Amino acid sequence: MAKILDKQRYKCAMAAMQTVQAIERAIPVLHSGPGCAHKLSNLIGNSGYFSPNIYPCTSLNEKDVVFGGAKKLHSTIENSLKVIDADLYVVLTGCIPEIVGDDTEEVVEQFADAEKPVIYASTAGFKGNNYIGHEKVIDAITDGLLSPSEEKIPGLVNIWADVPYQDEYWAGNYRALEELIRDLGLKPNTIFGYQRGIRQIQDIPKAEFNLVISPWVGVKNAKHMEKKLGLPFLHYPTLPIGAFETSKFLRTVGEYAGVPSEKVEALIREKEEYYYHYIERFADLFLETRVMSKQFSVVADAHYALAVTKFLVNDLGLFPAQQFIVDDTPKEFREPIRQYFEELNYGIKAETIFETDGYKIHNAIREHDYHGYPLILGGYWEKSIAEETKAHFLNISYPIQERLVMNSFYVGYDGGLRLLEDIYTVARSRFN
Amino acid sequence: MAQLRQIAIYGKGGIGKSTTTQNLTAGLVEQGKKVLVVGCDPKADSTRLLLGGLAQRTVLDTLREEGEDIDLSSIMKEGYGGTKCVESGGPEPGVGCAGRGIITSISLLENLGAYTDDLDFVFYDVLGDVVCGGFAMPIREGKAKEIYIVASGEMMALYAANNIAKGIQRYAKSGGVRLGGIICNSRNVDREQELLRAFSAELGTQLLYFVPRDNIVQHAEIHKQTVIQYAPGSHQAQEYRNLAEAVINNQNFTIPTPMTQERLEEILLEHGMMDNIPENYHI
Repeated sequence: MAKILDKQRYKCAMAAMQTVQAIERAIPVLHSGPGCAHKLSNLIGNSGYFSPNIYPCTSLNEKDVVFGGAKKLHSTIENSLKVIDADLYVVLTGCIPEIVGDDTEEVVEQFADAEKPVIYASTAGFKGNNYIGHEKVIDAITDGLLSPSEEKIPGLVNIWADVPYQDEYWAGNYRALEELIRDLGLKPNTIFGYQRGIRQIQDIPKAEFNLVISPWVGVKNAKHMEKKLGLPFLHYPTLPIGAFETSKFLRTVGEYAGVPSEKVEALIREKEEYYYHYIERFADLFLETRVMSKQFSVVADAHYALAVTKFLVNDLGLFPAQQFIVDDTPKEFREPIRQYFEELNYGIKAETIFETDGYKIHNAIREHDYHGYPLILGGYWEKSIAEETKAHFLNISYPIQERLVMNSFYVGYDGGLRLLEDIYTVARSRFN
Repeated sequence: MAQLRQIAIYGKGGIGKSTTTQNLTAGLVEQGKKVLVVGCDPKADSTRLLLGGLAQRTVLDTLREEGEDIDLSSIMKEGYGGTKCVESGGPEPGVGCAGRGIITSISLLENLGAYTDDLDFVFYDVLGDVVCGGFAMPIREGKAKEIYIVASGEMMALYAANNIAKGIQRYAKSGGVRLGGIICNSRNVDREQELLRAFSAELGTQLLYFVPRDNIVQHAEIHKQTVIQYAPGSHQAQEYRNLAEAVINNQNFTIPTPMTQERLEEILLEHGMMDNIPENYHI
């Protein structure tokens, strides 16, 4: 049903250009109207390695609608290959060519023999939001660039987690996840961020398995790769933040990859000692900061809502109020995700609300009794309801306008300490 | 001067919309009316009889080759009896959006000043299958207020006419568009006139005119002429003059009441068969 989109939390599928931009030396080639390109680039605020806010676009107009935009797309790709020095060109379609019925695939196939790879993802906005668009780009990479590999690199693990830029901590989180995999004695392979590009993409089929760390985004990609490349996958739904989840994560991945359990346990012991050293040093502060909240709500995509809720309950001992999942999660994944939220320590279950309407979310927060100052971790949109309810507020999910994130991360043992620092910084500054 | 009447002609593909429109136009110009015919079909064959051949460059071809800075004279040609003729045209089959093409070319005609004050009638000859919003353009945004559906006694022609009526009903509710009647282009099927009359009544409209079948229409077409030009003294020429008269004098404009498939089939059973044909057909 049509409705007012109050407090937008995601963009259209073509915003998957952010996924392309996160791959070093990859360039999105937009087959869309100029307005789509402009709006998306403004929201994301970055166009990857090439240049801020400059990238090829067919800039379709009415004439192209009537006669079809295929010729324009052909010349745009042809000239992009000439003037832009990139390793990978990813054609993304907007709504216009998909409605008109341009045969984009056929145009892209004409560049099969080009010196650099040109691939295509169908990312019309009416097909879904940018979480879906991200998956379409990954599938396009699988379909357009990868084939099964005889050669395997022992211990190589492909990691698929955050949607780049949608989760502003993506760059740091991917590095921290790589670190955890490396600590297990395995070799991480990721395709997003600093010095991660076409070479890492080419290594994907050589991995032993895909590791999907997300409640739903990427699961379909892994299934597709399993079918096409024969790559098995491990689905670990929770982004590990803090000691409890990170240790569980290491055990699960270690066991799946055949890492000897003594080695895994030794690693966990070392890491937890380090982690609890800091927790102990500040135990008094945690105990004595009486203004700290008892209950919390997270307003974020399923990925972050689950990760943060688990951390706050399992590591910090807070009690969950309603948790709001705002990524328009596909229906098939909702029930399993609901289950994940009910598997918290101490028999605690968190109630999850799948809701994209910010108005309803704020009403629910307003009506709930948090038994003190609420703790709200959400998008910038939650700032107003946080002020209204005198909540402790941390801007951790899209849109992030309260802080600058360059390479910060919340993943792992260090990530947990970082999130604690951030939350208590807010609580301690209440009466300053 | 009388007010400009903008008329859209719809109907199943191949039913004879273009033939009927052009012959009707010839009847109108004989009476001194000024007529503009806008072909809204990518095949661009709506003005062939008036122009004596496919002499016309379409609006969209011109737009594609020369850009938007074009002259009205390069897309509007004068045909039989001073008729103004325009073909909207369309993209190559299988690419682009022909519906948007119709919208684009009608807007362009407006911008170029094709709708002059001296016109009495504008006809939009729209292709048979109204597959998307673009082909409803002539009846949207206050352009054609008057619609005639060309049909015959054949099942599929009536089925298409009923579907078109659904579209008209939609726009009639939001705008001022009305159905002026059904024009029967006879196919000599059983009890055709009676069937069409019953169908029109069910649709809440009238059978405006029954054009009988006559081979002279085909002869005129081969000679790239309307019947009135080719054989002015013929019986069929008079039929088209009568049709023109009926259009000029028509006062009966309604919001159609389209019927269900079941009801349509009932009407066909009731009126669409000769009683005296034996059940055993074999020779």
